[in-house]
Amino acid sequence: MASQWLKDNQLPANFHQWFEENQAPDSELMSDNPSGPVPTIQNIVSTVNLACNLNLAEISLKTMNSEYNPKRFSAVIMRIKEPKTTALIFASGKMVCTGAKTEQESRLAARKFARVVQKLGFPVRFNGFRIQNMVGSCDVKFPVRLENMICGHEVYSVYEPEIFPGLIYRMKKPRVTILVFASGKIVIAGAKKKEDIFTAFDNIYPVLEQYKRV
Amino acid sequence: MSEENYCMDCRRRTTVVLDRASGDAVCLECGLVLESRFIDETAEWRNFADDSSGHDPNRVGSPVNPLLGDTVLSTVVSGGPASGLSRLCRRPDPDNVLFAFNTIADMADRLSLVATIKDRACEMYKKLHDLKSTRGKKLEILAAACIFIACRQEGKSRTVKEVCSIVNGRECINRAGMKEFNRAVEFIKEKLKVEMGESFIEMGTANAGDYLKRFCSKLGMSHEDTRIVGETIHNLEQLDIRRSPISIAAAVIFMINQLTGSKISLRDIARVTMVGEGTIKNTYRDLQPYAHRILPERCVKGWDLKNLGPV
Repeated sequence: MASQWLKDNQLPANFHQWFEENQAPDSELMSDNPSGPVPTIQNIVSTVNLACNLNLAEISLKTMNSEYNPKRFSAVIMRIKEPKTTALIFASGKMVCTGAKTEQESRLAARKFARVVQKLGFPVRFNGFRIQNMVGSCDVKFPVRLENMICGHEVYSVYEPEIFPGLIYRMKKPRVTILVFASGKIVIAGAKKKEDIFTAFDNIYPVLEQYKRV
Repeated sequence: MSEENYCMDCRRRTTVVLDRASGDAVCLECGLVLESRFIDETAEWRNFADDSSGHDPNRVGSPVNPLLGDTVLSTVVSGGPASGLSRLCRRPDPDNVLFAFNTIADMADRLSLVATIKDRACEMYKKLHDLKSTRGKKLEILAAACIFIACRQEGKSRTVKEVCSIVNGRECINRAGMKEFNRAVEFIKEKLKVEMGESFIEMGTANAGDYLKRFCSKLGMSHEDTRIVGETIHNLEQLDIRRSPISIAAAVIFMINQLTGSKISLRDIARVTMVGEGTIKNTYRDLQPYAHRILPERCVKGWDLKNLGPV
């Protein structure tokens, strides 16, 4: 009897392949309504202190992937291909890393930049790595009436179509800035944690639905 | 009040009445005014010891501006090269409040604004000054921002480009100037939020209806045409046209002018609304598919919509 049941309820042959292919992305797992749209993280900015004074001219000369133009900007701009990121390295040893799409990527990239500088002979450390800003974007797939939205949420919104076509919504909790465009596309910026972006989106989605243009 | 005096016309002594209200000495027999502008030398009011009400009947100096308040005596000493006395009088007014008010008055004149808007803007500036928020900010930009907000509050909005154009010393209206101006407006709204309460920020946003009457009258359009423009703009509120409301207003004016065959050219409209000619054309192209839907019905019958050809 048990063996009969087992034969009837076999997993399909390609189960393992199907399982690997259909993993929900991290972002979907984190949000409240995974069936709806979810924001994707587009950019992460982080800073780290290499804790030693650097000779920017030497760094820019000895590396192929950097530019240094002291008259324009007093930092070396270095780029690496994997993860595709850009770093601003200052003479004081402080470094800003931009362009990563996940926190782990940002940390990895910062470590790679630090390694490059270390290989040139400087006694670098990796102090105080901190994510400063995360930017995510999303499309709610329906047009939004911005001129009505500002009437309802005057305290938080700024909408001046002559100046900028998008509505600038400054949410207090979590403390992020959301740009809402009439097409329904939104940009969430100023978050320090991934959860902030998803919470902000969950907060703003009902508001956008309220001002949907029919 | 009445006495016997010699009247020139009657050529004899007659009763002459002194009317203190008009200051005339009038002959009762013939009505001739013998003496006018009689100066009454009695006291105008009486002073009492216990009477210390705020009402002081002494009239000295120019009217007190409640905004400027206690300061600003307006006598100056002039003449002669920077003498000691004139140097003393050239005491600079604290933090340029008076200068700011004069700037606001100048800019309001350039925009032909009523006194209520100008006073509101001055009041706003004074409040900012009391909060010490005017330090470190360019005076002209702050003043222009005050005017902009005052216009909005009164319901007589002026476009950002219009206000930017009258700022002292800035003839060109570019993106950078408007950004700075917008920052000043946000700054003022932020600072005065607590002072003036919720009603202050409930200003709403710009919509085409606010501006169209002014644009139409500047272009010399008739009342009928202005009304048609207004109805059209009202009808297109449901449509999803992703354009600035000023551009939409300009394009609708252009469309109506094309249909009525008036002589107002694209260049005139661009000049008055401060929208680029290319932008008006593009917006007009966006509106064309919906033309029969948004134009008021009574006009559609009379006009030949085929006239709305491509620009």
